[in-house]
Amino acid sequence: MTLTVTGVLKEYPEGINLSRLIELEKVATPMYVTVALNDDFVESGGFGSTALKDGDKVEFLYFMGGGR
Amino acid sequence: MPAERMADFRPDAAADVTDVVCPVTFVKALAALDELEDGRILEIRLNDGEAARNVPLSLKDEGHQVLRLTDNGDGTCALLVRKVSACPVE
Amino acid sequence: MAFNAEQLARYSRQIILKELGIKGQQKLKQARVLVVGAGGLGSPAAFYLAAAGVGHIGIIDADEVDLSNLQRQILHGTDDVGRPKADSARASLLALNPETEVRALRAFVDAGNIMGFIRDYDFIIDGTDNFPAKFLINDACVLAGKAFSHAGILRFTGQLMTYVPGQGPCYRCVFREPPPPEAVPSCRQAGVIGALAGVVGSLQAMEAVKYIVGAGALLTGALLTYNGLQGDFRKIALSRRADCDVCGEHPSITAPVDYAQAVCDA
Repeated sequence: MTLTVTGVLKEYPEGINLSRLIELEKVATPMYVTVALNDDFVESGGFGSTALKDGDKVEFLYFMGGGR
Repeated sequence: MPAERMADFRPDAAADVTDVVCPVTFVKALAALDELEDGRILEIRLNDGEAARNVPLSLKDEGHQVLRLTDNGDGTCALLVRKVSACPVE
Repeated sequence: MAFNAEQLARYSRQIILKELGIKGQQKLKQARVLVVGAGGLGSPAAFYLAAAGVGHIGIIDADEVDLSNLQRQILHGTDDVGRPKADSARASLLALNPETEVRALRAFVDAGNIMGFIRDYDFIIDGTDNFPAKFLINDACVLAGKAFSHAGILRFTGQLMTYVPGQGPCYRCVFREPPPPEAVPSCRQAGVIGALAGVVGSLQAMEAVKYIVGAGALLTGALLTYNGLQGDFRKIALSRRADCDVCGEHPSITAPVDYAQAVCDA
């Protein structure tokens, strides 16, 4: 199936859930990433139970604490 | 507007922008217009050349009504412009 | 409010913009912006706001200038090393534009003082370097109904979003609560390119100017990310969280909160 992940259209194995996608995308801080699925936030405890379907749009939002 | 009627325009205020160069000429003209009520006429004294070419165009582009540009014969021009309040810009 | 000839000349390049004009310049002159942190983000943000003719700038920073700051904190010079950043920032802003009213405060923001600091300002710029401060500023602005610009930077990447009361998500909608200390890398551990702070801090100034003059579209309901290594900008659409702890329908946070933080002087 085709997903748009961080703006890039790519093929992924059929029926994967969000946790698997986070592994596949090698997200550096999986414990502390915010995920938006089709512009809505996914609860951080719910990645394993969030199935993805063809055409979904996924964004990973990372903590950035710097500024000084 | 017929030419004979053009002569009738009487300025409500005056501004001199001969002491600055573009785009400050235009900015000074805008500031002078800002002091006026809608429909009032401003007479602007400006230098021949770049200022005389650009300022009328820029004021027109802002939505104001350029009435007349006359050569003063001393290296300056007189520009008559009527204030037209711009629509809010999005 | 009329401008004199020098002011018209100083601001001429922006007054000629249709979106600004004389009216916009007047709004800038009347505006009050608070910059929290006179560092990598706060430096370019405050500099451009002073340059643009923002009438009153507040700047808060508790630290002193260190040699390692100068790679990115452009408000401060080599001669300022050891001097309070608030003082050095004030001097730099006044040197650029003596007409700016600058209120420089040497302080850390905390739950006890933040509401008082933001009260008199129209727009707040978060230029802090730690999560407790970022959440504190978010919560205080939501509670006080103030618009603000959030930003964060790390290595070669940065991000920012703008909160306006009643429009789009707040920072807490996106990130919920601060990560445990040291769970995610800080600038000090991870490094940062000075120009990245310049890019993102300048974008924060841009948001403040747009908010003040009422031009264009703000980064509300969106997170703009910048990847300096790749040269990519991305604008990610975000919606509000109805159950957000501070801006949601049944908020549990009704006053500013202090979080413990790893000691970090960036």
